[in-house]
Amino acid sequence: MMEVSTDPERVERRAALSSIAVKVEMSSGNVKPLFHQVRHALQRLLTDGTSTLIDLKAIPLAPGEEERILAELGSGEVCAELNVFGRSEARETAIPGVWVVTHYDGQAAPRTRFIEVTRVPQILCSQTPDMVDGLARLTASLNTDLEQVPDVI
Amino acid sequence: MTILDLARGPAFYSAFIVLVAGIVWRTSGLLLMRWRRNLAKPRVPGAVAAVAGGLRAVAMRSVPPHELEKNITFQHFTGYAWHIGWFVTFLFLGAHLPFIRSILGFSWPNLPNGVLLIITAITLGILLTLYIRRLFHPVLRVITDMDDHISVLLTIAPLVTGIAAFAHWSIFGLRYENVLAVHLLSVEALMVWLPFGKIFHCVTGLLTRFRLGATLIRRGVRA
Amino acid sequence: MSYDDSRLGDYLRLRGVSRRGFLKFCAAMTSAMALAPEMLPRVAGALERARRPSVIWMPFQECTGCTESLTRANAPTLERIIFEAISLDYQHTLQAAAGTAAEQARQDAMQANYGQYLLIVDGSIPLGNPAFCTIAGRSSVDLLTEAAKGAKAIIAVGTCAAFGGIPMARPDPTQAVPVSEIIRDRPIVNVSGCPPIPAVIMAVLTHVLTFGELPELDALGRPKVFYGESIHDRCYRRPFYERGQFAESFDDEGARQGWCLFKLGCKGPVTYNACATVKWNDGTSFPIEAGHGCIGCAEPGFWDRGGFYDALSVPHWGTLKELGVAAGAGVALGAAASALAHHKQTVATRREQRAEKDET
Repeated sequence: MMEVSTDPERVERRAALSSIAVKVEMSSGNVKPLFHQVRHALQRLLTDGTSTLIDLKAIPLAPGEEERILAELGSGEVCAELNVFGRSEARETAIPGVWVVTHYDGQAAPRTRFIEVTRVPQILCSQTPDMVDGLARLTASLNTDLEQVPDVI
Repeated sequence: MTILDLARGPAFYSAFIVLVAGIVWRTSGLLLMRWRRNLAKPRVPGAVAAVAGGLRAVAMRSVPPHELEKNITFQHFTGYAWHIGWFVTFLFLGAHLPFIRSILGFSWPNLPNGVLLIITAITLGILLTLYIRRLFHPVLRVITDMDDHISVLLTIAPLVTGIAAFAHWSIFGLRYENVLAVHLLSVEALMVWLPFGKIFHCVTGLLTRFRLGATLIRRGVRA
Repeated sequence: MSYDDSRLGDYLRLRGVSRRGFLKFCAAMTSAMALAPEMLPRVAGALERARRPSVIWMPFQECTGCTESLTRANAPTLERIIFEAISLDYQHTLQAAAGTAAEQARQDAMQANYGQYLLIVDGSIPLGNPAFCTIAGRSSVDLLTEAAKGAKAIIAVGTCAAFGGIPMARPDPTQAVPVSEIIRDRPIVNVSGCPPIPAVIMAVLTHVLTFGELPELDALGRPKVFYGESIHDRCYRRPFYERGQFAESFDDEGARQGWCLFKLGCKGPVTYNACATVKWNDGTSFPIEAGHGCIGCAEPGFWDRGGFYDALSVPHWGTLKELGVAAGAGVALGAAASALAHHKQTVATRREQRAEKDET
């Protein structure tokens, strides 16, 4: 589901925008092919473990179609929130193995949205360079602690 | 300067000057023509009768004579149909109304595009049918000259280019702004040709019918 | 673990950008550059290894709007990552140094990175008089020519640098020209717009960093990925245009219903930019969505294309008064021509009558 920012200024802006009654019923013709693409990707994941990334913003969609797609994919058992240069969200849909990963920027605007067909989205996995840095910090702090504790053991 | 700037700018103004100059020249030339005075005694005298006679001629000659109906009904009805369609397209398409407003200072509501598209398509279909008929009909082929060809093609061109611009089709690989420019230039070509070709019948047609009726009523002939 | 802060990935890490943050940025840029999502690992790898480029930003006849567009973010945005990762060695608005120190820093950076630095230019260049635009007493033509010599590529940011923009608007008192009129031997990418969308500027920079070359350009030298489609083609109000439902004035019922703004002068059909998709202010909105027609600011000469509120179907070479003058000229010409014809006819008639009289 599309998240709406709680920033008061944004809320006011969105309310003003949505008061412009633009009811457009159009179809881009891309919704069904997208679902088929997801289906094929899930099949491939099960067969040979290949993950697939689909950029939702790159697909021409009529107004309201993206919301429809997200609503049809639904929500599953896992929803992870990341806090990195603004919020990001990795939500498993009602179809296990199909995730929706949304990156918001510092002003809570959805910048990119991917459908990832995978066991775990890459962004959720701890990254090696970050783990290396973390290990260095932990080692440094442990060494400091060890220096401070009197040698009673 | 892009071709669109040219079409919206100097080309339009040049064409406009030529159109106005041409209409004024030919119309006033006709009106100022010296006529021999008719010295015969009028059967039906007076200006009122002349005007009535003129108007009658305009009305009566706008429908085919009863005797010729069988031969020319097709031409008659299709001719009216495409003329009406052409002017409805020009006067009631939403995109044209700001142009009209800029010339006249006022405009009117536009028709829905769905309706206009049907009218324009029918108009174009009729025009093309009549032109092809003109090219192959044994009699029409003989009496058609270069003036006719140019006049017909310049009447069709704004419709074709207008539909292409409206539907955002790319003709000859041109992008929209160039298709729009071609449409404007086709209209400007029509404006330049109008005073000098057979299309000038839009001015002379009614004037000459009126004059004919006004002249003949003097002799007591109801034309 | 040792870091080499001349490498972009390490530089960002040293400044507290986690690998996740970096991947998030790469995902946003991959999407912004309209690349296939499968390219994400390649983009991340290339950016990770990219050398932090030296960037020289030369401002000429500009209003600083382009810099404002880029930097006017209230909270850290993804753009700032790349913006801070480049080595911005000269930028009037943002640099702390001033005067001779700043100029020396520029010269040093240009020499040290000769042939490798990226030159960003905003503002047009006046050819009328060198004094119209100078920095430290040197004319902008001089400065541009010198800076371009050692540049790997030039990014002309904003319509002024790309096409001449506002300074070039009639009557063009300074004889302003774009970068491409002066520099002919360096690759130039025009990122036009008044101002350009910040995400577009950043995506172009990212593309150059990732792939080491300029993105595919259109006939006007603009990146096709952002300038390949017209506003009209991606406008959400398009269905109203197709149906012929137009707003007639800014506060009428049609405007409130969000109808097409064609009659109010929208230049969307002839303007190529990413406003309708990428939008402004971090994707908040764009002029048409806010109820104002597109003014065509990414196109050359947009200031001289008639009124912003004149529809595309309205002639724009002057006002109604000039049209009246044109009509008057037409009437005068026409009347003169017919008077001449009448005179000739009179002369001919008299000659004929005289000849008849002579015969009898």
